[in-house]
Amino acid sequence: MESKIEAATGKLVVKKVGGKSTVTRCFSKYPLKFIIPNKVGSSETDAVWVYTLTYGGGIVSGDSISCEITVADACTAVLTTQASTKVYKSLGSKSSEQILEAKIGSDALLAVIPDPVTCFSTARYSQKQIFRVVLDSSLVIVDWITSGRHESGEKWDFELYRSTNHIFLEGDQPLFLDSVLLEQGNITNIAERMQDYQVIAMVILLGPKLKQIQIQVQENVRRMMSEQLYLPSTGLRPHGKTQSDHFLAKPSFVVSCSAFGPKGIGIVVRIAAMTTESVYRFLQHQLAGMETLLGVSPYS
Amino acid sequence: GRLAPGLRSFHVGGPPEASTEANVSHGKEKQASVELPLHWSEWQLLDSILPTGGFAHSFGLEAAIQARLISSPDDLRTYVIHILENTGSLLLPFVCTATTSPDLETWHKLDRMLDATLTNEVSRKASTAQGSALLRVAASVFTEVPSLKKMREISLNFGDVAFHHAPLFGIICGLLGLHRGTSQRAYMFITLRDIISAATRLNLVGPLGAAVLQHQIAFVAEAMLKKWKDRAVEEACQTSPLLDTVQGCHAYLFSRLFCS
Repeated sequence: MESKIEAATGKLVVKKVGGKSTVTRCFSKYPLKFIIPNKVGSSETDAVWVYTLTYGGGIVSGDSISCEITVADACTAVLTTQASTKVYKSLGSKSSEQILEAKIGSDALLAVIPDPVTCFSTARYSQKQIFRVVLDSSLVIVDWITSGRHESGEKWDFELYRSTNHIFLEGDQPLFLDSVLLEQGNITNIAERMQDYQVIAMVILLGPKLKQIQIQVQENVRRMMSEQLYLPSTGLRPHGKTQSDHFLAKPSFVVSCSAFGPKGIGIVVRIAAMTTESVYRFLQHQLAGMETLLGVSPYS
Repeated sequence: GRLAPGLRSFHVGGPPEASTEANVSHGKEKQASVELPLHWSEWQLLDSILPTGGFAHSFGLEAAIQARLISSPDDLRTYVIHILENTGSLLLPFVCTATTSPDLETWHKLDRMLDATLTNEVSRKASTAQGSALLRVAASVFTEVPSLKKMREISLNFGDVAFHHAPLFGIICGLLGLHRGTSQRAYMFITLRDIISAATRLNLVGPLGAAVLQHQIAFVAEAMLKKWKDRAVEEACQTSPLLDTVQGCHAYLFSRLFCS
């Protein structure tokens, strides 16, 4: 990892200085910029907030942005955005990419809580996030994407989106290896695979600092979905979807929760929703308990 | 790793798809008994009558119905195709690598990786249930491959082997002498077979309609195979996040026929 420092577009180190989580190293070059406000939320809370921005407000075809962050023992750091990440159209079939490599220490917490990615028509984009944790690290990752500029009718109109999230425990033990690929194909296109849903999201909650929230979220999700799932009264209709019966309409918000890792130290929440607002509301509600950890409630 | 006598040897990226008769006579030491064309073992492995418990899983179909995502035969067809694509993108690399290197060390590495890759608890548990059952059956049935029983016993003693389905399917195919092209196609076949079977039991389609659908989709499955076969496990990805989300809801179903 050392040899890649110079090649990285951004580098952040958060360490305890005078007992407080402090950014001790902050480097960024075009097109990446960090904004680190002096104080976010209550001064009692020990947490550093870092906003990442890209010049031009989005990711341009061919951009390659890589970022490294180290959150030292007992520190808390938040990585977030000011607005949704726009990925502009691909020029000459070029792809753009973002890579994040994070190392989280003992009793430390990293919260990656961005706005969603929005890929414009024909965009080709991939992102890779690698997290290296130890047994008592805590981690919150929100990774989400909208179907595009749906008000302009762009729904799942991009060429390729790939999002990879890897979590390794104590060096090289794979804890969570997920890669979602949405690519237009000749047999199936993306819109068909997403049906009427316009947003997909994933939330990972890992580690001791999030135990209570994990339990609460699992319970909330179970309750929400139990009401939404039921046997339709008839079998398949041979003439297709002609019914107007709202009873047979798909749920506008589908969510499920799975435990992962030894002794279920982590949970992953997956969401498919018809509106971006409904996901913001869900995130705000489910992560409200993090205010004491971060100083401010995420997505509020 | 070293293979016990009586097993066929492999090379990674080996000879092109050979006939099954050639596979049988590949190894240095042959069984003294009658040479059995590989077809018998291959077909038995793919026959739904093999008691591996595949009938307990609907690949998220039951949850999809209760979420009203399936309301016409076209919806069912589309669903099956998306599941097959996801099988190709996510699981074929594990089948492939296991078939070409059917040794204990490779198997355990693939098993650990897949355990971290199947982040959906419902499908992860289904995978370990089916994999365990498959290995138990294969070790009892294919006694001419003693390493199956040995590998199973060693792994049960280790305690932290999950016995995931896709790598084990690949291992068994590999140890039986099947080529990776065959094992990957076979994996697509049994996935299609099992979803179609679940669709019948969920009353989405009758038995004859199911058989017609299965054959129609076979053409699509073959195209999926060509697209996704022979890839490295590091490339494994999921391509239907909506279906992954819905399948994850299986545990919330009030009434259910299936385990997943």
